[in-house]
Amino acid sequence: MKSSSFKNPLLPYVLLIPTFLILVVFLFYPAFETFRLSLFKVHPYSGAERFAGFYNFKKIFTNPEYLSSFWRSLVFAVTVVIIGLMFSLFVAVLLNQKARGMKLYRSFLIWPYALSPAIAGALFNFLFNPANGLIGYFTGVRTWLTDSSTAMFIIIIAAVWKNLGYNIVFYLTALRNVPTSALEAAAIDGAGPVRRFFSITFTYLSPITFFLMVMNTTYAYFACFGLIDVLTEGGPAGSTQILIYQLYKDFFVHSKIGYAAAESLILFLLVVGITMLQFQTTEKKVHYQ
Amino acid sequence: MKKTLFFALIALLAALLVTSCKGDKVKVDENAQVSIGFWHAMSGDRIDLIQGIVDKFMAENPNITVDVQYTGSYNETLNKVRSAMKSGDAPQVFHSYEIGTLGLINSGMISPLDTIAEKYDLPIDWDDFFVPVQSYYKYQGVHYSMPFNSSTPLVYYNKNMFADAGLDTENPPSTFEEIRKAAEKLKASGVDTPITWNLHSWYFEQMICLQDAPFVNDKNGRSGNLPTEVLFNGDAGRTVLDWWIGMYNDGLFLDVGPGWSNHRAAFGSGEVAMVMSSSSDVNLLTKSLAEKGWEMGTGYIPRPEGAKGGVAIGGGSLWMTNDNTPEEELAALKLLEYISNAESQIAWHKGTGYFPVRISAMDQLKSEGWFDENPNYLVAFNQLLDSPETLNTAGGLLGTFPETREFVQNAIQEAYAGKPVQEALDDAAAKANAAIADWNDLIQ
Repeated sequence: MKSSSFKNPLLPYVLLIPTFLILVVFLFYPAFETFRLSLFKVHPYSGAERFAGFYNFKKIFTNPEYLSSFWRSLVFAVTVVIIGLMFSLFVAVLLNQKARGMKLYRSFLIWPYALSPAIAGALFNFLFNPANGLIGYFTGVRTWLTDSSTAMFIIIIAAVWKNLGYNIVFYLTALRNVPTSALEAAAIDGAGPVRRFFSITFTYLSPITFFLMVMNTTYAYFACFGLIDVLTEGGPAGSTQILIYQLYKDFFVHSKIGYAAAESLILFLLVVGITMLQFQTTEKKVHYQ
Repeated sequence: MKKTLFFALIALLAALLVTSCKGDKVKVDENAQVSIGFWHAMSGDRIDLIQGIVDKFMAENPNITVDVQYTGSYNETLNKVRSAMKSGDAPQVFHSYEIGTLGLINSGMISPLDTIAEKYDLPIDWDDFFVPVQSYYKYQGVHYSMPFNSSTPLVYYNKNMFADAGLDTENPPSTFEEIRKAAEKLKASGVDTPITWNLHSWYFEQMICLQDAPFVNDKNGRSGNLPTEVLFNGDAGRTVLDWWIGMYNDGLFLDVGPGWSNHRAAFGSGEVAMVMSSSSDVNLLTKSLAEKGWEMGTGYIPRPEGAKGGVAIGGGSLWMTNDNTPEEELAALKLLEYISNAESQIAWHKGTGYFPVRISAMDQLKSEGWFDENPNYLVAFNQLLDSPETLNTAGGLLGTFPETREFVQNAIQEAYAGKPVQEALDDAAAKANAAIADWNDLIQ
């Protein structure tokens, strides 16, 4: 088989230049700078740098707050991914049925994805805030966001809800691609609906589940700080302080530039590591058509 | 310490040298066409209000063009100025919060206001500024920035609820013990959670000032050396928090969490009968109570019995960057003086609720009869005027103030959850001190 080729061997590179330039300017260079800065002590105003070796990393790993925030983020991410995927699959299966007005339901369940995290946070604040939250009014419990045992729970629900639309869209698409012939054959062989779902539908859904797992992990680690900023500011007493929120504070509010760079490098490695682990372990169980 | 002293001496010598060289004032062409930038952090209606003041300034000074921009929150503005300084297109004037003061003094990117005013022989009449306002921004005898939006906390109370509980509606409680007693009476009369304020270190700091105690060492951060440790875990701080947490534990205080909307909402809807908030909320809170047919009163923020201190000013001020031509400097100086004049300050006060920073502005408001229509503003003024001038009531200066506030707020939340007050404060102080050590190391 003859592979197509360009007459001018330089042409492909010329065509790549615009993309490459954008990547370098907006991605590679800042990333490289961040990694470099993590080895420096940086003046908060002038930006003057002093080489400090692994000083910042040492500080991070001897900070008990950082370590507890590390575990908290892990628990947060795992919970958001598991609850998020289970619930959105459940909703997607319901939405995949034929019923009157289904299109309407679908649009309503998908639109939360179009909201920014800050707006989603404002909506949950409307429900749960201690002064005049709706849920507080009806349950008589005001402390949803001001008690450290429930605040994280509310953040998790908000984070799951916010990403529900995204997950549902993917699951719905995948559900429509499950071949009806296989399901019918199983039904004829006497498999009940539960068995049919787990043995057949779920197998066909595994690639998308895997994809969503990776995407939701990234979401839980990187995209939730807007929610936290609006709802709890990391409190009460640090109980909703996850790594990305701490990073945001350390860089943008506390101007600890070198320290924040080291934090972001760790966060980056962590998420890369988790994703690779997911590829290593879970992907083997994925069934591609 | 020795090193700091050495540098301070060098700086002093250099300053002497510079001032002696500049014995005769700099000559610039006052009428040259010049354009300057002004970045501020006031959102909403306040954008137009500031633009209006600047437009008037430009009409009076046709050779000066000012490009006014709203650049986001204080933090965002500061971050933008920082990167603009590096690329050389920073504005001549920018807006920062009060707690950024020591950081900016040591930033190497600003010019002290007094230095510039002297350089162009346009002295600023500091005697016409309220004492707490001008003393906050004065460091080592030099005013570094122009006070702009100034506020203090104030107690707001619902007169109808006070009457129902049999409390004096005209003389609000003003000490820790009186507030507590009033809250107990209100609770007995059926107000389930009588008092609240938002989770903010600001109130804690202010009630330490009321006891004329310092927040940080080295003369409350004003000695010329960088402060090295916080003192909020001393007697004064513990007294405040014991009272605060005590009311929480007895169900008198409603914890509404951080942010600036929940406590206002709780007061507006009658969940609470007393609230502490910024003095710039007078209009807002009066209106929200009026909607329900309630009348609002204001009082000084409470202090422990017999405490002799006063409130420190909060809010923001306007700074000048230091990388400018003489023409730009002069134009920026004129702009700052214009913004702080009585006329601009009165417009600013009426539009926002922030204090006019000048005594002449207040006299004018008085003679206009403004306070007869808005008596609650007068309480805020009087609270300010009653504050003595000491290094403690000038307000603490600290480079790591934003972070320290978070530690304090964490400590308060830990105390809500049952941690002993002293232990919570000591832990917060230890964390704050470690952060200070790092910061001082970076700055030097």
